[in-house]
Amino acid sequence: MPAMDRFAPAETSSPASAMTHWIKQIQARYEDRITGHLVLPARLGEYAEIPGSLPAGLHSALAARGIRQLYLHQRQAWDAATEGRHVVIATPTASGKTLCYNLPVMDAVLREQAKALYLFPTKALAQDQLAELLALNQAGSLGVRAATFDGDTPSDVRTAVRLAGDIVVSNPDMLHQGMLPHHTKWARLFESLRYVVIDEVHSYRGIFGSHLANVLRRLKRICAFYGSDPVFILCSATIGNPRQHAEALIGAPVEAITTSGAPQGERHVLLWNPPVVNRELGIRASARSQVTRLARMAIRARLKALVFAPSRLMVEVITKYLKDVFDADPRKPARIHAYRGGYLPLTRRATEQAMRAGCLDGIVSTSALELGVDIGALDVALLCGYPGSIAGCWQRLGRAGRRQQPSLGILVASSQPLDQYVVQHPDFFTSASPEHARIAPDQPLILLDHIRCAAFELPFVAGERFGELDASDYLAVLAEAGILHAEEGRYDWIADSYPAQAVNLRSVADGNFVVIDRTEGKRIVLAEVDYASAALTLYEGAIYMVQSQPFQVEELDWVGRKAYVTRTRADYYTDAIDYTKLKVLARFAGSKAGHGTCYHGEVHVVRHVAGYKKIRYYSHENIGYGPVNLPDQDLHTTSVWWQLSQDVLLAHFADPGAALDAFQGASHAVHTVATLAMMAEGRDLARTIASGQAGSEQGGGVEREASAREIGVRDAWGSAPGSAPEIFAPALHLYDPYPGGMGLSEPLFQRQRELVARARALVEDCTCTHGCPSCVGPVMGEPPEPSRSPKIQALRILDLLAAP
Amino acid sequence: MNALQARLVQLANQAGRVASLATPSDPRSGSFDDSARARLRVLLAQRHHAACKDLPGVAIAPGVQLVETVDTVPLSGAELASGRLAIDPIGFSQLVFLDTETTGLAGGTGTKAFVVGLATLAPPQVRIRQWLLTRMAGEGALLHFVAEALPPDPVLVTYNGKSYDLPLLRTRYRMNRLREPFGDARHLDLLHPVRRRYRGIWPNCRLTTVETQLLGTPRVGDLPGSEAPAAWRRFLATGETDGVRRVLTHNARDLSSLAQVLCALNALD
Repeated sequence: MPAMDRFAPAETSSPASAMTHWIKQIQARYEDRITGHLVLPARLGEYAEIPGSLPAGLHSALAARGIRQLYLHQRQAWDAATEGRHVVIATPTASGKTLCYNLPVMDAVLREQAKALYLFPTKALAQDQLAELLALNQAGSLGVRAATFDGDTPSDVRTAVRLAGDIVVSNPDMLHQGMLPHHTKWARLFESLRYVVIDEVHSYRGIFGSHLANVLRRLKRICAFYGSDPVFILCSATIGNPRQHAEALIGAPVEAITTSGAPQGERHVLLWNPPVVNRELGIRASARSQVTRLARMAIRARLKALVFAPSRLMVEVITKYLKDVFDADPRKPARIHAYRGGYLPLTRRATEQAMRAGCLDGIVSTSALELGVDIGALDVALLCGYPGSIAGCWQRLGRAGRRQQPSLGILVASSQPLDQYVVQHPDFFTSASPEHARIAPDQPLILLDHIRCAAFELPFVAGERFGELDASDYLAVLAEAGILHAEEGRYDWIADSYPAQAVNLRSVADGNFVVIDRTEGKRIVLAEVDYASAALTLYEGAIYMVQSQPFQVEELDWVGRKAYVTRTRADYYTDAIDYTKLKVLARFAGSKAGHGTCYHGEVHVVRHVAGYKKIRYYSHENIGYGPVNLPDQDLHTTSVWWQLSQDVLLAHFADPGAALDAFQGASHAVHTVATLAMMAEGRDLARTIASGQAGSEQGGGVEREASAREIGVRDAWGSAPGSAPEIFAPALHLYDPYPGGMGLSEPLFQRQRELVARARALVEDCTCTHGCPSCVGPVMGEPPEPSRSPKIQALRILDLLAAP
Repeated sequence: MNALQARLVQLANQAGRVASLATPSDPRSGSFDDSARARLRVLLAQRHHAACKDLPGVAIAPGVQLVETVDTVPLSGAELASGRLAIDPIGFSQLVFLDTETTGLAGGTGTKAFVVGLATLAPPQVRIRQWLLTRMAGEGALLHFVAEALPPDPVLVTYNGKSYDLPLLRTRYRMNRLREPFGDARHLDLLHPVRRRYRGIWPNCRLTTVETQLLGTPRVGDLPGSEAPAAWRRFLATGETDGVRRVLTHNARDLSSLAQVLCALNALD
């Protein structure tokens, strides 16, 4: 992003009055759809001197680009970096973060022939930043050699980059698979590595972030071998814990700069809920139709608009709708462009260029534009659906904004539970601080993978630490498996393999199943299914859908990780019948939760797929069953759970079945708000209800057997597996569905009161009458009487768990 | 196996790893006390020592065995002496034939050369020296000996050495913080002239094919190169020397073939 607002021909094309007028207009017209209106006042810029010590060439390069002073945060970043302190810059979109690292890096390259490594999460961003670097380089004829190094780099160019690159622009996967395992070829870079720049660090959370932290441990180990100790400069969108997150990633103290010195015009944010079209079923008009309408109105009001659509398909659909209106005449240049992954880089560059030059009136994009791709300034950002996190929301909304003019962002909710919760609780959106990005760098399997890769890169000596960690047990396991050779206190790589190839930075397991189409003797790989969901989707007889085309699984090779399918014309789909058994192995901590208790601890989850149902399309009638014979899936992980005693439950519910139904509804709501609170994807957190014998409440750590059923779109409890337990004390579990856990249960436990309160508000405030997919999950049929509706029942559980 | 190790193995299996780690089978292995471990270590060292005695050549440093042989091969010395080599002028004394046996084909910093073979010419004889790594710790010493053995201003002759053996050795020197001895040495990689001449004529351009087609001496009973890594791992783990002996024979055979191929190609020019 350029530090100065050179690109904005804004003043003429969209006068402040046009925006203000338009906001008033839609407010008046759609009062009932706007659930919240937030105004962020305009902010003046805060500036600082360009450092006097800067080489003359760099000085003139800045001057040539119109930069005569720095924003305060840019100067602060300079001071920290050049004094050798690791720094994270977490300021809003378009605040000139790029210069925060380019300046110290260019300075070090020019004055000391030092080198730098830049890491971006995507290749497109790397290209973008390279262009920015080259422009600065050219403006001052600096002679700095910068190049990208990624999967697309031709092999002859690779050698040149290795030997002569001053600034290497790459991504974490390439560092992990291509650079570190070949570090001797990169010796010149690692010997003189002064700065490591990691942009968009908010996107490195969960599994990906945990992997990256370990890749950085490996990088530091290699740097130490070559005698360098680089300073890390990290940039992040606004998140709740930039310093802590940066420190977790690089394993060292980091200074945080969180206040932007860039000027900012007034900003408006509207929360928009599409009108209800069927109150009983809780069905609303689609977010897509609302967004299309708003975009049309904005462009007609001569405002430049950016639409964020949730999928590539939706990008195409909305683009078509807008083009039908604005680009009807093919002789005129297009006013609307689509922008998404899958387009050729040149096409994307052309769109970015056209937008910067002010030639376009609208862009429809996926999250591809959420990251720091430079498209200049625009007036209105429209979000088709909640992107899953407050931080992500601001990242997208921040795309609208000019230095001097007011701008507007509109979040249009879909009917998804998360979306509905957010727009119906504007206070959540306006008052909540952005989420914390979390990683679990010491997740045992991720650690094992990276210690394996690190041992390939350099032998381990006994007692050597990996990051802060004692690696000896991990090394012993690898030696036992014949992967390392232990000799005289040293562990050397001995296997004939390249371990980084087998470690995917975006997953915990590598046991994916491939789905192979063998219709009419073909052998075509259709898809990949991860190990954890294979048993639920690839059993023999299952209908597996690809692009809504049905295929039937004929043969499942469990050991070989292959499923053979053929095309079918079946008029039904299949749904696995599975049971989850959950056993608490240890309680780490516990506390009172209303009339019940809340714990977090280690659990053993066993999932058994017993069979499957065939369900006819449209009528959804059950037309048959099939058996499934697969090994049970087991999983040791961590969980947080809420529990109510038999006495309390029997005092409030007619029978155990009703109580379990109520737990089911409550778990849906708790899961929704927990996903929201953890900035997690829905699949990163699993839920189940454990019902059964409760062990002694006092004997913390006492093993407790519990059988449970996975909750989902399965049939109602009715007949619980096994006989009715003697002591009835169901528990609502939220657990990490990864072996070893990803560290979510502890922070969830810390926020247990808040989660119950939020889940309660979610259900209570839902506009449905007796429960709907947005609050308590799918509801079958009409309730017998209003007082026994799933909604009321779930609320009862949440009331009992809420602090009085 | 202690508790954490057992847990790691269990989690890896739960995650559906294809190459799953061994499940702890013998619960007694966890109860090994320190003195038992120390005893075992002594026994292993003794076995290793005995195994090394069983190898050809002499131990010249801890972990390094030097095997020297002289091979008489039908070198057409006349052609060489006539100086019609493409990169004239080269004295015999400068020519160094080089071939390595490595712990794998994966490449990267985790692959080692456990045999480095060098051959020099004294027509009609080929003098072959092979340094075999008998323990991991000997690598630095092995590399040092190889560097010492190179003549001044050497001309390297290899088969696919430009993209395989040389980069690998360079990595090994760097990993051991040693100066790599090859510098800007001239390098004849015979794969390239063979490819230029015979690509599309022969089924492939592997060295064994060249031997059959060009020299008319097909190999019999040779250990396939792909089995070399396993042979060396077996030696390290169990002290079994048969495999490693066959690797040494294979490597020596490669070296003398190189010398013959060079002469044969030279004669064709």
